[in-house]
Amino acid sequence: MQRNVIVVGALFVALGLGVFVWKTRSLGMPIIPSGEGPWRVELEITLRGEGQRGSVRAPLPSSGPGQSVFDERTASEGLLFTIRTEDGQRIGVWSGRLSGVVRVVHGFRVQTNAVRVPLPLQLPQEPPREILATYTAATTELPVHAAEIQAEIARQPLASPRDPVARIRTLFTLVSEEIGGAGTGSDDAVLTLAAREGSPRGRTLLFTTLLRAAGIPARVVQGLALRGSSAAPIQWGEAWIDERWVPFSPVDGFFAERPEGLVALHTGEGAGITATGSEAIGWRYHALRESLRQEELAAMMVPPNPLLARLSLYRLPVPTQRALRAVLLLPLGALIVAFFRNGVGVQTFGTFMPVLVAFALREASLGRGLAMVAVVVLLAILLRLLLERLRLLLVPRLSVLLCVVVLAITGMALMGSFGGGELYSAVLFPMVILTMFVERFTLVMAEEGLRQALGRAAWTTAVATAVYPIFHSTLAEHLMFGFPELVFVVIGVLVWVGGYTGYRLLDLLRFRAFARAPENPA
Amino acid sequence: MSLRIIRALRREGVLGINRRNTGYTLRWNARRFYPIVDDKLTTKERCQSAGIPVPALLAVARHHFEIPRLLREIATLDAFVLKPSHGAMGNGILVVRARDGVRFERAGGRWIGERDLRYHAASIISGLYALGGQIDDAFVEERILVHPALEDVATDGLPDLRVIVYRGVPVMSMTRLPTLRSAGRANLHQGAVGAGVDLGDGRFTHAVQENRPVSRHPDTDHPLIGHAVPHFERALEIAVAATDLTGLGYVGADVVVDAARGPLVLELNARPGLAIQLANRAGLLPRLHAVDARITPGIPLAERIALGRDIAKHAQGKFA
Repeated sequence: MQRNVIVVGALFVALGLGVFVWKTRSLGMPIIPSGEGPWRVELEITLRGEGQRGSVRAPLPSSGPGQSVFDERTASEGLLFTIRTEDGQRIGVWSGRLSGVVRVVHGFRVQTNAVRVPLPLQLPQEPPREILATYTAATTELPVHAAEIQAEIARQPLASPRDPVARIRTLFTLVSEEIGGAGTGSDDAVLTLAAREGSPRGRTLLFTTLLRAAGIPARVVQGLALRGSSAAPIQWGEAWIDERWVPFSPVDGFFAERPEGLVALHTGEGAGITATGSEAIGWRYHALRESLRQEELAAMMVPPNPLLARLSLYRLPVPTQRALRAVLLLPLGALIVAFFRNGVGVQTFGTFMPVLVAFALREASLGRGLAMVAVVVLLAILLRLLLERLRLLLVPRLSVLLCVVVLAITGMALMGSFGGGELYSAVLFPMVILTMFVERFTLVMAEEGLRQALGRAAWTTAVATAVYPIFHSTLAEHLMFGFPELVFVVIGVLVWVGGYTGYRLLDLLRFRAFARAPENPA
Repeated sequence: MSLRIIRALRREGVLGINRRNTGYTLRWNARRFYPIVDDKLTTKERCQSAGIPVPALLAVARHHFEIPRLLREIATLDAFVLKPSHGAMGNGILVVRARDGVRFERAGGRWIGERDLRYHAASIISGLYALGGQIDDAFVEERILVHPALEDVATDGLPDLRVIVYRGVPVMSMTRLPTLRSAGRANLHQGAVGAGVDLGDGRFTHAVQENRPVSRHPDTDHPLIGHAVPHFERALEIAVAATDLTGLGYVGADVVVDAARGPLVLELNARPGLAIQLANRAGLLPRLHAVDARITPGIPLAERIALGRDIAKHAQGKFA
C-alpha cells in the first residue's frame, strides 16, 4: 500500500473517531443503546383553506396511569397555538388564517408501561351520582335504549346489579367470543350486534353500550397502538369500578389491565380532531421507537455544545429521521461490498446491487426476500427459453421480461409476501430493485452464458445476505444515526481497502499452481 | 495453506488484480485513450493508416436499416466473420466458413440461414454483446485461415498470440489454442489451452488448460512444448507497433497469423488478463520492475523489443 493512501485513510479515520470519542467521553453520549426507550410520536395535520380564518382542534395526551408524556413540541405555519383544558382533557388549538395548504405538526415522547388494576374482592361501592348520570346515558353512538340492546341485555344471564365485575365479565365474554371481528365490518354498535360481527370500533362501541345498558358507568377511550414504526388508531372501553376507571378491551383481549405500547389520547366516542374554516383536512400519526432511555436521549438531543445541539439528528421530524436512519447505514453496506469485491474478488451485478438488494429486503424477512429473488431469476431463465425462438430485439425482449416480473410481484403481493408495510417502502422499492436485478441477469445470461449469470446472481445474493444483518442491527443504526461522523471512519477504511494492492482471495485460488513444485510435463 | 500460496506468489512476482488495477491500468492507461482499443473499428483504422497489417474490413452496419446493405455487400463471399465493434472476450463473433446459396456453414459445422445472420447483426447493433450494453456497430471482416504450422495445436478455431506490452516494451507473451472443450474459442476460462511463448524464439515453454499444466494438445495429442509460432519476429514487431498508436502504457495486443497474409493485429486490450502468468508459469512483476529500471523513454521499437527479450531471458533464468 502506498504511504499517502495510508496517511489519507488514517486522517479520515482519526477525524471520525476523534469526534466520536469526544462526544461519548466528554459529553456522555451512550455508545451502546440500552434497549427499548420511549416512543416518539408525531401528529401531522394537513389543512386546506381559501384564506378565511379557521382553527383545528386536536386532543393531546396527558400523563397518567400507563403513560408518561414529555417533550411536547409543535410546529405550524403561521397559526397561533394554544392548549386548553376542557373537562380534564387537554386540547391543542391552532387558529389563524388558512390559505392554501397548511401543515401542523405536533410531536411528543411517551413512555408507556403495562397497567394491571386489581379488581375488588368484595362488592364495590356504588358510583357517585354524577358519574352514574353521565356515563350510563345514551348518545348517538352509544344507543343504550335501542330495542336490540335492551333485548340482548334481557337475554344475558347477568349477575346482580350489586356485582358489576361479574356483569362486566359476562358482557366481555359476549363481545369477545360471540361477536366476530371483521376488518370491513360495521362501525355501528347496533349493526354490529345484529350482524354478530363488526369492526374493532364497532365492537368497542357495542361493548361500551352494553355496559351502560347494564347500569355500569362506561366510556370509550381513543388512542394509539404503537408497534414497530407505526401508530395505529385504537379504542378500548373503560368502566368505573371502585372510584376509578378500569380499562377493558374485548377486541384486543385485555381485562382490567392495559398492555404496554398503548397511548390514550382522549375519552369519548366522537372524532378527536376537528377543524373549522377549512375546506379539507387530513391527519396521520407517525411513531418511532427510541433505542435509548430518557436521560440518554437528553444527552443525544441537547448536548451541552451549542453547535452539536443544532446538528443533532434527533431533532428532525419523525419521517425524515426514519429515512435517515436507513440511509446512514448504506456506507457500511458499501464497505462490505468493497471488501468482497477487492479483498475476495467476487463478481456481482453492478457495484452496489448487493447493498440495494439488502436494502430492498429490509422490510421483508431474509428468507422471503431470497425466495423472491429466486422466483424472478427462474422466470428470466424460463422466458429466455420461450422467447429465444422469436428472435426479438433486445429492448422489447427485456420489456417483456419486465412485464412478467411485474405480474410475478403482483402475484406475490396477493399471496401476502410483502407484509403489511407501507406501499412505497415495502412494494415499490423491492420491485424496482428486483427488476434491475433481473435485467442484469438476463444481459449476463445473453452475453456470457447461464453459468456466469447464475454465478454472479449467487454472489450478489451472498453479499446481500452479508449486508442484510447491518440493516437490522439496532446497534449499527444507533451508532450511525447518533454519530454520523462515523461515516468519515468508513471513508477512511474505504481508502485503505482501495489502496490494497495485495492478492485477492480468488487470486490465490487461481494462481495456486505457483505454490506447487515446478513440474516439467514435457 | 493460503499463507503458503501468498509466499509462493510473492516469490514468483505474480501480479494480482488489485495491483494490476492500481499500479498499472489506472496509472498508465488514461481513460480518454480507451475508445481507441475498445472500439475495434477505430483500432483497425489506426493500424491501417500506420501501415500495420490487420484483417481486411469488408462491410459495416452502424444502424438497423443498414443491415440489408451489409448483407448485400457480403453476398459474394464464401467465408467471413461478423463481429461487434465493442465486444468483449470473443462474445458475439460469428464465423462463416462456407456457404451454399443462402445457407451458411458456421465454424463448428452448424448451418444457418440469412435470417439468422440478420438477427445476429441486429443483436450486435442493439448492444447485446457490447461492454456496458450501449448501441454498437456490426462489421464483417475477412476470415483468417489458420497457419499450417499451427493446425496441429488448434481445434476448430483460430489460435492467437497475446503480447503484454508495458511502456512500449514487450514483457510476456502467450498463445491461446482453441480446443473442443472451448468450442473453438480462444478463451482460457472456457477451456482453451494457454501456452507461454518465449519472447526470444517464439517457442512454447509451458502450457496450461484450466489452470492445470498440460504437455500435449488435449484433442490432437500433438506435443506443445518447443512448438514455435510462425513468423514470430514479425508478429512481435506489429504487436508492439500497434500499441504505440494507443497512448496506453499497459496493453495486451492480440495477433493472429494468417496462412496467406502472415501476422495481423486483431485487437488491443486495455485491461489484459493475468492468466498469461499461469501459461508462462512466471510472474509479471519482476519484468515490469525491470522495464521501469532500464527503459529510456523515446528509444526506437527495435531497441525496445531487444530490451524486452533481454528482460524476459533474465527473468526466466531467475524465476523458472
